Amino acid sequence: MRLISIAAAAATVALPIFAHADQKEDVLEARHGYMKMLSVNMATLAGMAKGEIEYDEAAASTAGANLEALSQYDLPALFIEGTAHGELDDSDALPAIWEKPEEFGTKYAAFAEAAAGASEAVKGGQANVGPVLQKLGGACKDCHDDFRAKE
Amino acid sequence: MSGSGEARKIRVWDPALRFFHWALAILVIANWLLGQFGPNIMTLHFWLGYAIIALLAFRIVWGFVGPAPARFGSFLRGPSAVAGYVRHMFDRSPSNWEGHNPLGALSVVAMLAVLVWQVGTGLISDPEDFVNVGPLAGDVSSALSKKAVAWHHLGGTLVLILVLLHIAVILFYRFWKNEDLIRPMITGWKWVGRR
Repeated sequence: MRLISIAAAAATVALPIFAHADQKEDVLEARHGYMKMLSVNMATLAGMAKGEIEYDEAAASTAGANLEALSQYDLPALFIEGTAHGELDDSDALPAIWEKPEEFGTKYAAFAEAAAGASEAVKGGQANVGPVLQKLGGACKDCHDDFRAKE
Repeated sequence: MSGSGEARKIRVWDPALRFFHWALAILVIANWLLGQFGPNIMTLHFWLGYAIIALLAFRIVWGFVGPAPARFGSFLRGPSAVAGYVRHMFDRSPSNWEGHNPLGALSVVAMLAVLVWQVGTGLISDPEDFVNVGPLAGDVSSALSKKAVAWHHLGGTLVLILVLLHIAVILFYRFWKNEDLIRPMITGWKWVGRR
């Protein structure tokens, strides 16, 4: 009985440490999942813009709406301390994110700005997809240039 | 190796090679600047890259079928020739070399190799932004096309180093050796000593 309570007490004390390590892995996975979701929807628009996927107004608009919704997610909150490139396996997040958080926030806000109205803008024909894609892709690049490791 | 006493002016660089040189200089500098500071939609960077591919293809073909000073076979020399040239390199007199000297030849090869590397990695790069994807990125694995982005950035640094070295050496010849290498690349005519 005493052994169990000691073990329970030890576990309670140790828990925050484990939770902390888990949290880093969690936010990293969440970030990658987030990027993957962007990527899936961007691929739909890119495929249509290039003519590799047949233009489908409803599908294009859904992809646009998904990107709009994703752009409203508080992504910067997932970049917690100790999860930079070099600190955590598989992380491509440059330390610049923590050194210049305001600039990082501005770049992310620029993505939201680029995404705004995408679900409507891609309607009305295949020719309307390209300009939306370019705005979004430009925002991707702009942020990756400064804040993503090139490896 | 210096033949300043009996130098004569001869036509070293043919018109096609001179056009190639200046077109390449302009396009490479422009494309480097576009890569670093250009718009996020890199359409122009892509087109200049394609033009550079055409120039590189010309230069490589010209290196086999062009006039003697343009041919790899005539200007690429062994280590002893390079060492022999380097021994006199810091003499304060013009080299009056007919074409690419043995050391400069290595610089030519380095420049061409780095630019081939640069267009190669550019063509297969996938920066995952869905707009600036190299036209051949889909033909290689996604791991490779992602790595190519980093290699392309590295190549950009190498291009910068080689271009600065090239300019530094031209200034060295102009002011230390009192030999103008720029005018011959414009007119084709160069002072050449007997060897």
